Amino acid sequence: MNHLPQAWGRPRDDVYGAYDHSHFQTAGPIQHTQSPIVTGTSVIAAKFKDGVVIAADNLASYGSLARFTDVKRLRKFNDQVVVGFGGDVSDMQYLDRLLNSLDVRENYSSSDTPMNAKNLHTYLAKVMYKRRSDFNPLWNHLLIAGLDADEKPFLASADLLGTTFTSPTLATGFGAHLAQPILRRSLPDESSVQNVTKEEAVELVKECMKVLFYRDARSMDKYSIAVISKGGVELREDEKLENQSWAFAERIRGYGTQTV
Amino acid sequence: MDSLVARYTRPAYEEEGQSHQDQQELSRAGPELSLKFALPPVAQSASWLRAMTDDYSNPNCPIKIAHGTTTLAFRFKGGIIVATDSRATAGNWIASQTVKKVIEINNCLLGTMAGGAADCQYWLAFLGMQCRLHELRHKRRISVAAASKILANLVYSYKGMGLSMGTMCAGVTPQEGPALYYIDSDGTRLAGNLFCVGSGQTFAYGVLDAQYSYDLSDEDALELGRRSILAATHRDAYSGGSINLYHVKEDGWVKHGFNDTNPIFWETKLNKGEFSNVTSELV
Amino acid sequence: MSAIFSGAPPQDGLGYSFKQSPTAVPSGERQHGFYPYTDNGGSTLGISGADFTIMAGDTRSTHGYNINTRYAPKLFKIGGEGPDNKGARIVLSVVGFAADGDALQEKMDTIVKMYKYQHGKPITVSACAQRLSHVLYNKRFFPYYVHAILGGIDEDGKGALYSYDPVGSYEREQCRAAGAAASLIMPFLDNQVNFKNQYMPGSGTGHDLKVRQAQPLPRNTVEDLVRDAFTSAVERHIEVGDGLQMMIITKDGIEETYTPLKRD
Repeated sequence: MNHLPQAWGRPRDDVYGAYDHSHFQTAGPIQHTQSPIVTGTSVIAAKFKDGVVIAADNLASYGSLARFTDVKRLRKFNDQVVVGFGGDVSDMQYLDRLLNSLDVRENYSSSDTPMNAKNLHTYLAKVMYKRRSDFNPLWNHLLIAGLDADEKPFLASADLLGTTFTSPTLATGFGAHLAQPILRRSLPDESSVQNVTKEEAVELVKECMKVLFYRDARSMDKYSIAVISKGGVELREDEKLENQSWAFAERIRGYGTQTV
Repeated sequence: MDSLVARYTRPAYEEEGQSHQDQQELSRAGPELSLKFALPPVAQSASWLRAMTDDYSNPNCPIKIAHGTTTLAFRFKGGIIVATDSRATAGNWIASQTVKKVIEINNCLLGTMAGGAADCQYWLAFLGMQCRLHELRHKRRISVAAASKILANLVYSYKGMGLSMGTMCAGVTPQEGPALYYIDSDGTRLAGNLFCVGSGQTFAYGVLDAQYSYDLSDEDALELGRRSILAATHRDAYSGGSINLYHVKEDGWVKHGFNDTNPIFWETKLNKGEFSNVTSELV
Repeated sequence: MSAIFSGAPPQDGLGYSFKQSPTAVPSGERQHGFYPYTDNGGSTLGISGADFTIMAGDTRSTHGYNINTRYAPKLFKIGGEGPDNKGARIVLSVVGFAADGDALQEKMDTIVKMYKYQHGKPITVSACAQRLSHVLYNKRFFPYYVHAILGGIDEDGKGALYSYDPVGSYEREQCRAAGAAASLIMPFLDNQVNFKNQYMPGSGTGHDLKVRQAQPLPRNTVEDLVRDAFTSAVERHIEVGDGLQMMIITKDGIEETYTPLKRD
């Protein structure tokens, strides 16, 4: 302990060594997943009056390389929950196996009520927080979409730090910057969810996927989309972006060496 | 080999989420003041902790722990005077002006708080528990020497992990008379007549050393304690708020108020003519 | 600017006695490069009165410049019955890293519930406050990145409010603001709740001025102060906004209100 008045009570360099700023950096030798390798980009989702729409493209990137082009990043858990994965693909696959074993366990147990989206979100959030507390995070940002115990739309997020929140619309990664403002235009608050139909919500999410494809360099025009409502899960994994219009590209000026 | 097989044939989910042990611990009403601490799972936990919490080396560190103090205690013929300021700072932010830095361990023992506020509160509460257990086991009150040694040994066992405390234990027992010990988080334990601890210690020593005598009357001793803290709050930015004053006697301690420094300062200046460096003109 | 006033002199200068020059950074392998914290912004505040305590917090959750959601409560009822914590008498507010906050809230909720099952009576606020301090200190070497405030009614029926630092030092106070806008709200509260730097009108000039003594404020005054504090903080802090959640704890229970704040 330092006894000099100006630093009273603070650690002393000759006891603790110099202050080590590198603890704030995310570089250095790697043991666990300390940075993602093969990654998936945004997942976006929006509630509507009877359920939730969630979408993610089918691309897994290796840095800037579009490495795998048919990776399905939406996972149906049961008839009322779908999980969307952003971030590291290997950790996504681990979580997929984890959810499989959870599903098996749930089906063996005698309980008649299946796990709802809220239950699954709580579970996944605990897994993520436990891993961050072990300094061995699962490098993902998850969106959990489905129905809660009262069969109302449920949408929540859990990230690699274990942070959780819910909102009428959610988007991870680049989507948080590009898609979220568009989604919020139609769904500014919880009460507005009642005014949005399934068709409108699907249209809105598809529009956002298009905007993301225009501007996110790590995205692709093939994507998966799922609609969760009382009727069950409609999951389509081979959608293609339609009605693209690159006319706006014509007007872009002023990047790099281009001056006129 | 068996352990390897066991490890890789176990279903994956067993290791995820709260462990069975964590859940058990939650539902058990275990001892509140325990010596079980969660450690960050990194190789150099002390260095990591310092990176997160040392607001002196890195003013932008994320977690700012309440710090900064002037505390003093001295022995004299009438017992022991204990005086402190009441400011807590987190970086340059004044987190509180009303901290109780004199911790009442029991009705005869006092501890002071300097350094990490939480460290002092926790370990002095822990010491209080140990003192009570000593009383129950031995059917007589613990000596100040023994109490201070419990604390010193405790913090010494955590040396190098990043605790920060500078505390004084003051008490009067029949076998020792008035006894005063200084203990800090390095494990230092010293008996003495007079100590000042904290970022304002030098200013308090200046006044206290000049005026101190063992044969002070009770009133003069209280006034000297107050005046020393006042000097420190005046010159040390990390000290201030109120002056907390205690007198420890044979039959226990007596509290002599928790008073704002501002009126005390102006009274000292205007009525006694001290602090002549400060103007009293209010233009 | 803060570097100038940090008070940190160059450490390689002359020391008093011991070697002060920085030795090497602790050696050995640095295996992890993972930073386990983030700041989710927002602000909380609590004020205690004669027979009530008001806790308040905004509902915005941020990550950098992004808004995660406009409704993420920072106030939690502790130790009631069922998922809605019916009949609870204690409120915990946490601000800082939301995941740590949730973990802490869950832990305290369990502890208070277990106390009731094992002792057959609800926990007192002072006991709960001390327990929270110990829960925080148990993570002294890997702290929860949170500023907690605990509110309730004490054994004498008076409003009780306790505030904490991240590692568990705690103190009972009249009022406390925490989080991103603490430095904006706290000086306002000092002046309006504790009457700091207020003097009695007509008591003279200069050194004759009489200090205005603080007294417990009536409930509607405090509610107005809370609303003023937050509407003002929203104007000057980007991490505060969207909604104001308030919980008013009285002997009859907890009243909860929600008022929209600016969403820009």
